[in-house]
Amino acid sequence: MAKIINHQYFFSHPVEMVWEYLTTSELMAQWLMKNDFQPIVGHDFQFRTGPIASLDFDGIFHCKVLAIDPLKKLSYSWQSGPGEGKITLKSVVTWNLQAKDNGTEVFLDHRGFEKAENLDFYNGLMHGWVEKLTKIDNLLNTAQHGHTNA
Amino acid sequence: MLMLLSQDSLTINNLADNFDMSRPAVSKHVKILHTAGFIAIEDVGRERYCTLKKDGFDELHAWLTYFDQFWASKLKNLENLLNKHNDTTRHPN
Repeated sequence: MAKIINHQYFFSHPVEMVWEYLTTSELMAQWLMKNDFQPIVGHDFQFRTGPIASLDFDGIFHCKVLAIDPLKKLSYSWQSGPGEGKITLKSVVTWNLQAKDNGTEVFLDHRGFEKAENLDFYNGLMHGWVEKLTKIDNLLNTAQHGHTNA
Repeated sequence: MLMLLSQDSLTINNLADNFDMSRPAVSKHVKILHTAGFIAIEDVGRERYCTLKKDGFDELHAWLTYFDQFWASKLKNLENLLNKHNDTTRHPN
């Protein structure tokens, strides 16, 4: 399973206009979510939507502006949890814009997903399979050996 | 063993039936997999049930599916909004 979400979308509108809708709080609220975004690197802000009980989500995405390159790139951290400031999901959202003759190509990249509680297990599953399995194999061989000798 | 447990919870005896190993050998394997964090063990009556621990994995998968659809729908919103904006600019009332 890939831990990266990518969307590419073409808008038949100039890059200045698309950028304005991606970086102005009131305009973002109209298509994305209510927010207190400001286009300042290091600014902490929130997106607010409905809670989702099955995902242990209280309806608030806690974000911080990580990078801004006007008309080209915008990046913010994107974290959530069950409430009271507890964070159980971490990720990063990055927008890249390319001005075209007749519009704007937008590349959305949402990645770096980490489940705080089960991170070790997840890493073991996704990235360390070979290492883990080798380790288990060694342990099992030792256990088998020990058993045979017992 | 993990493949079997990915289908269903099984007792150590159920597991042992699937392998050409003694029950104590299977118990040892289960203990190691449990220590490594791959499986959970629950005592129900006189039986020990083994379950694959995949809660975190499943929830992350649910989030990824959610966000994929979320962004597709939000980008569509943005397109509609931009089109509307243009219409108003071109044909002001």
